[in-house]
Amino acid sequence: MKKRAIALVLSMVLVGASLAGCGDKPAASTNAPAASTENTGAATTDSGSEASGDTIVIEVYDEAANYQGTQIGWFAKVIKDRFNIELNIIAPQVAGDAVYQTRTATGSLGDIVILDPAHFSDCVQAGLIKDITTELKACTNLMDYDKQITTYNNGLPGNTEGKLYGIPCEMTNTSPTSFSDDVVYSSPMLRWDLYSGIGAPDIADLDGLIDALKAMMDANPTNESGDPCYGLSLWPDWDNNDGMIGIANVAQLTTWYGEKIKGSAILKTDDTFVPLTDKNATYYKMLKFLYNANKAGIVDPDSGTQDWNAACAKMSAGQVYLFWYSWQVGFWNTTDRLADGKGMIFTPVLDQYYYTTSDTYYGSGRLFGVGAGVEGEKYDRIMKFLDWYASPEGLEFQHAGIEGFNYTLDDQHKFTIMNDNALMDNLPVPEEYGGAGYSDGNNAINQWIVAGISTNPLSGEGYSNTHWSSWKAATATKTKTEWGERFSAQEPVDWMKAHNALFVRPSVSVSLPSDTADIEVIRNQVGQEVKDASWRMIFASDDAAFDAMWDEMTENLNSLGFDELYKFDVDKYTIELKAMQEAK
Amino acid sequence: MNKSKKKWRSFQEFLYILPFIILVLVFSYYPLYGWVYAFFDYKPPKPLSKELFVGLKWFKSMVENPVKVKQLLGVLRNTFAISGISLLFSWFPMIFAVFLNEIKCVPFKKFVQTVTTIPNFISWVLVYSIAYSVLSSTGVVNTILTNLGVIDKPILFLQSAEHVYFKQWLWLTWKNAGWAAIMYIAAITGIDEELMEAARVDGANRMQIIRHITIPSILPTYFVIVMLNLANFLTNGMEQFYVFANSFNKEYIQVLDLYVYNLAMGSGGYSLSVAISILKTLVSVVLLTATNKFSKLVRGEGFI
Repeated sequence: MKKRAIALVLSMVLVGASLAGCGDKPAASTNAPAASTENTGAATTDSGSEASGDTIVIEVYDEAANYQGTQIGWFAKVIKDRFNIELNIIAPQVAGDAVYQTRTATGSLGDIVILDPAHFSDCVQAGLIKDITTELKACTNLMDYDKQITTYNNGLPGNTEGKLYGIPCEMTNTSPTSFSDDVVYSSPMLRWDLYSGIGAPDIADLDGLIDALKAMMDANPTNESGDPCYGLSLWPDWDNNDGMIGIANVAQLTTWYGEKIKGSAILKTDDTFVPLTDKNATYYKMLKFLYNANKAGIVDPDSGTQDWNAACAKMSAGQVYLFWYSWQVGFWNTTDRLADGKGMIFTPVLDQYYYTTSDTYYGSGRLFGVGAGVEGEKYDRIMKFLDWYASPEGLEFQHAGIEGFNYTLDDQHKFTIMNDNALMDNLPVPEEYGGAGYSDGNNAINQWIVAGISTNPLSGEGYSNTHWSSWKAATATKTKTEWGERFSAQEPVDWMKAHNALFVRPSVSVSLPSDTADIEVIRNQVGQEVKDASWRMIFASDDAAFDAMWDEMTENLNSLGFDELYKFDVDKYTIELKAMQEAK
Repeated sequence: MNKSKKKWRSFQEFLYILPFIILVLVFSYYPLYGWVYAFFDYKPPKPLSKELFVGLKWFKSMVENPVKVKQLLGVLRNTFAISGISLLFSWFPMIFAVFLNEIKCVPFKKFVQTVTTIPNFISWVLVYSIAYSVLSSTGVVNTILTNLGVIDKPILFLQSAEHVYFKQWLWLTWKNAGWAAIMYIAAITGIDEELMEAARVDGANRMQIIRHITIPSILPTYFVIVMLNLANFLTNGMEQFYVFANSFNKEYIQVLDLYVYNLAMGSGGYSLSVAISILKTLVSVVLLTATNKFSKLVRGEGFI
């Protein structure tokens, strides 16, 4: 009998345990870990502390984050000292997009949400985003961007009363039509020492680029440690992303000729749209370029099967001779390499016309918002946090790091960089700043309300280090000076402007309609078809096979509903185009 | 008095299985509620109550034009081919167990068993990274072949669309054979030792014992496992094919489970993918009852 009682108890425990998983999250996770509260008192001396009461855990649903979990390290300490909050980041890029569906189904996406525009306007209409009009007006730092915030929110569908829900990301305090950067987002960049090693020839067009890369590869088939080098290394895991159908690498390259992929359509320089499948447009052209490059033997043979991490490791090891994203140089260009002339730098291809959007004055697309269910003390701290996030102090932390570790200040509040490999090598951060590695403790929200090119009112220079006069002076070394002599220009953008090779579209902030369920399915199937066919085409055996695959692809696309999708996309992006034309 | 005691006792016994009934209800029957999504134009974040009821639209859209039909047929072909190959080779773990059992040196036997069982606990993502480092253009295989002068250009194993089914079967076997053999090893242990001794007395050699005693004794186990596999014919799992899939081999590697995943998770075709999985469930139920009937006919006993 006793045994039975035990068995009964055990089975009850089993049921209890299995059902516990279905309920609300355990209360423990909302309480502050006891250990971490003890250092708050000691460390708040320099921050004008607003920290009070219990630590509050803020859930951040963040479509920009590459890290999921609690924010750690130096940035965790910075915000804990100021607001006594911890950030628990939920990252669909890590957890998978299904987390969006499950969390919206429960009615609470997060306390702070960072969403792409279509998701944001859907969530506002579904009542998941809080109306923050009153509290936002009281945020002095955010109100510097009043015009941009109001413009975005007035464009929200159904928002006739002009309420405020979203705060755009990456806004600037420059102007809607100016372009302040020295480089554009995508342009061909070559290893300077190798390019000058083959005589720094003029490159007339894409074929010339292949020839130059081939010559560079023939002269330097391996890197210093003997691993094989390639002209280009591609990776498939970003395909069909960022609102562009097709291989991400190809889609990005289309901007070299002034065209921009908008979903299934291509926006040409003359403000007209053509379908992605137009043989005279740039998707075909750039695909052909990669095919020709592969035929010339300069494409990494693992391109179709490796992931971004594998490709990135090759870039950091100097095994790749052509970069095309402006941020890619971060994986190679160190001060030493620049001084040795080994930096990656823009190399003009004479028939190209580089597309860029102007400063993201109205924001780059994503939006910050507050979850509908947030109330009381938590709401108060979130608004204070967001206001600080857009303040000069907050921005210095986000874009430049920690004073005394990442930079020093002179008496005019001018910045000079130190430990410039902190992020790349994940340098250990001293315990007084929060410990852990610098990269581990870096701001995991990974999205800024104000862009790094904005002017810091305290220094008069941009926030991020590439805009500091001290940085420009320090990097004016061999790579840069030799490049400047060869192309008679100070910076890549100067060359583009001088040669009429820069095409600037105003950056606008409009709310675009999101896909219907039908369009979503079509977009998905079309995207997969384009992606698969494109990869096979890059590795096609000959021209005939290449064209046969293209024709088969367009035929299949027609059956999958491409025309309907194209019409939808043209209607959608015409709204954006009109706004651009008005902003000129 | 006696009757009520009996009643109380049966109630008590019912309580023992209650937890499992609840588990099954919660995790196997409650999710069936999700089937309603197939009949709506569902799109998060709007709740279902605000969505449009569309009836059988998504079921019809699966076969509305030749390209989609071709795609679906291709997916079914892959599913059948891959399941078929594993069914065809389903005797492999059994034979492996039999031979393993014949090893007389115990440490060696344990070693082999451990080494073949461990891969079962490695996730497919890690299996792929192993595959990548072995088979990529700068991987072990290509490096050796190049150094030996057999090839002058690396072979792109992972990118090739040739022998996909067989290669995937090899990976699956490498991962699962040791684990699958455990069941047979248990069955072999259960064979009456007297049978073996009698056979030895009658002058049977090793191979004869295997053929006439060991294998016939574990055949019932084999049949049950095969039947269960048959009922799961449409379910290959998606992880393996998801990690190995790329644009080059997709035509052959995309099985039903992966197809459903790609449709739903690629960009949220939830309704359509629910519709497909409903069809899959229905076909699986039919397969299960059919094989059960078949088993009754052939062996005189069913398994459900």
